[in-house]
Amino acid sequence: MVTFWTPGGGGDFCTGLDNIARDFESHHPGIAIAPTQCGTGEQEFHEVLLARIAAGNPPDAVLLWTSPAALAARGALLPLDALMQHARYAQAENWPPAVLASCRFAGQTYGLPVTAGSYGLWYNQAMFEHKGIPAGRDAFPKSWDELRRLSQEFTVWKGDTLQVAGFIPWHAVEDLPLWSALNGVQLYDAAQRKYTIDAEPNVAMMEYAVDWLNQEYKGDFARVVRSGNWEGYEVEGRQPAFVDQRQAMFVTYSWNMGLKIFAQSAFPWNIARLPVGPGGTRSVAGYWPNWLALPKASQRVEQAFAWLDYMSGVGVQAWFRNFPDLPANRQVPRDLLPTALVDSKGKAFAQDIMDFFRAQLDSATPMWDSPVQDFATDQLRRALEQIMYKVATPRTALVEAQKACQSALDKVLRARS
Amino acid sequence: MVATRARQARLGGMRRREARAGLLFVLPWLLSLLLFTIYPVLATLYLSFTDYNIVQPPRWLGLQNYRTMFTADPAFWPSVGNSAYYALLAVPLGLAGALGLALLLHIRAQGMGVYRTLIALPVLVPPVASTIVFIAMFDPDNGLINALLQTVGLPTMGWLTDPTWSKPALILLSLWGLGASALIFLAGLHEIPPALLDAAAIDGAGPWQRFRHVTLPLLTPVILFNLVMGVISSFHIFTQALVVGGTTGKPLESTLMFMVHIYRTAFRYFAMGYAAALAVVLFLAVLVVTLVIFQSAHVWVYYEGSRGSNRSHTETACRATIVA
Repeated sequence: MVTFWTPGGGGDFCTGLDNIARDFESHHPGIAIAPTQCGTGEQEFHEVLLARIAAGNPPDAVLLWTSPAALAARGALLPLDALMQHARYAQAENWPPAVLASCRFAGQTYGLPVTAGSYGLWYNQAMFEHKGIPAGRDAFPKSWDELRRLSQEFTVWKGDTLQVAGFIPWHAVEDLPLWSALNGVQLYDAAQRKYTIDAEPNVAMMEYAVDWLNQEYKGDFARVVRSGNWEGYEVEGRQPAFVDQRQAMFVTYSWNMGLKIFAQSAFPWNIARLPVGPGGTRSVAGYWPNWLALPKASQRVEQAFAWLDYMSGVGVQAWFRNFPDLPANRQVPRDLLPTALVDSKGKAFAQDIMDFFRAQLDSATPMWDSPVQDFATDQLRRALEQIMYKVATPRTALVEAQKACQSALDKVLRARS
Repeated sequence: MVATRARQARLGGMRRREARAGLLFVLPWLLSLLLFTIYPVLATLYLSFTDYNIVQPPRWLGLQNYRTMFTADPAFWPSVGNSAYYALLAVPLGLAGALGLALLLHIRAQGMGVYRTLIALPVLVPPVASTIVFIAMFDPDNGLINALLQTVGLPTMGWLTDPTWSKPALILLSLWGLGASALIFLAGLHEIPPALLDAAAIDGAGPWQRFRHVTLPLLTPVILFNLVMGVISSFHIFTQALVVGGTTGKPLESTLMFMVHIYRTAFRYFAMGYAAALAVVLFLAVLVVTLVIFQSAHVWVYYEGSRGSNRSHTETACRATIVA
């Protein structure tokens, strides 16, 4: 019986995975899937998983919320390339290259990015129309300068409180690789195994954000944070300001299209590609995956991979209907649409949005591909906070992050060699 | 003579049998101590000199982890500073608060059992749940705390969203659980002979003098106990800090406590060897602080009937009277 673990997940998610497993079993009579183990109770998932791998009795397959590159660099995962060649859905050419890159380390593939929520710039069309600004996707700003000018049209302060925000420049660490790529560079170069956090265009990118904050947001990020929830998800009981029509534009992920608070919003919205920075030449997208992988010492490799392959092409459709995480595999039918959006905004709109997000995956920039991914994310978050709260200049903060990340990366690579 | 020897031999045999039986009774505990405490402690010490990620065998690094800690880890000193700040404020505040609560609970009044139960109840609430409640209370816009401050005309704070106020907010959060210490103080208060307080009162000592010169000295062993436990637990603050600040101690690393740094190093960065080195340093720091407290105890802790103390209950009461 194939055992399958996830790092966590609530009741519906886990029940959904079990239902997919029963469906898989009906198509593969020789393979049985044990009930999904969602999380490892009070113990930390990685602690248990790594200990079980070391002891030689890991689960046969896992869902990961941590970059496979990081686990692969530590010898915790099996390479999948040979298995992928004979797969029905999981063949390498069926994945957007930049998304599959998040699973690659040292020339081998260690995971399948079963879902990859892609990024888009969401905007409130009603607010645009109210100000007489063209609200079509084609008319949306193509450069950071245009976006900044447009943002000012919407931003309203009442005393020290930000009542309405136009667009708040890059303040989420998960989006930073995307903004860096829009400015023509990267934060991490997987091919060269080098961090480039303090590259001049990245410093310029952060200086641009600080200047923007100074001009439009009183140079006080703390006040901005206090004034509302500017993220794309509920924070401490506060729903996103975008839903309350207090934010004209923001960057968020594709899964929001299927969530009721967005799908059933009282106002029309649309999504545009992200504008290009002064150093960039073309718009790119970002993504946030869930990965499937086989732990080292998995006992039933062939059977477990058959399960992962099925999940990549078929199971993920049921997953999408349960929670609208974007399937990354190209074999998934194009007419798979989020029900909540179809019901509230119509099939044509839902199809347009879905096509947009799937196309975004094809123009994605590589992300999540570092062997020290989580360490780097924390260092970048630290740098970003220091810059936003003006504790350090962009250059100082990025240089320090660069030093820490490269040092951690070198240490992991040295240990491997 | 022979009979005496025979009796001694019988007694010796019995003692050995008793000792064997005793050893057998404590054997499970001894084994678990060896397996689950001594071995992990020694393993942690060994791993602190290695590069280890659980899956691959440890690789000996010598003192490199310790060098990295003090010279190249950007989060080490901020987490040390945050933990020290927290300990320095949370422990005295907690002790004073718990003692105050215990004094209130010591009053003879109707329904005191209910109050004691209510004070102890927060200890039973899971830390994650209580922290989430406090996050809502500290919300800068809609939170209860700022609403109260506004009501009395005081300026509001950013609390957990503001790097200046996030640690004080965490310290206030820590006071939520002082019911446990208060109950220990209460037990200590019950142990104080009423005759001493009565004697001091008869000799003219007021409530403050009785508290200062009778109650407080006799409570010093309990204060020592609560102080040591408070220091240890304050260095170990983890759940609340993680729920509030995540793995980066937001905002601006202001809630990045040392335990959170250890946790993220081990389970987020998979650097078990380095995390072990951090744990060793934490252990040594707590050990040193605890030893200093114990060393200082002979100066300020009063043990009834101990050689170190030249005072007795009566003398203490007399001092109170003289002061009064």
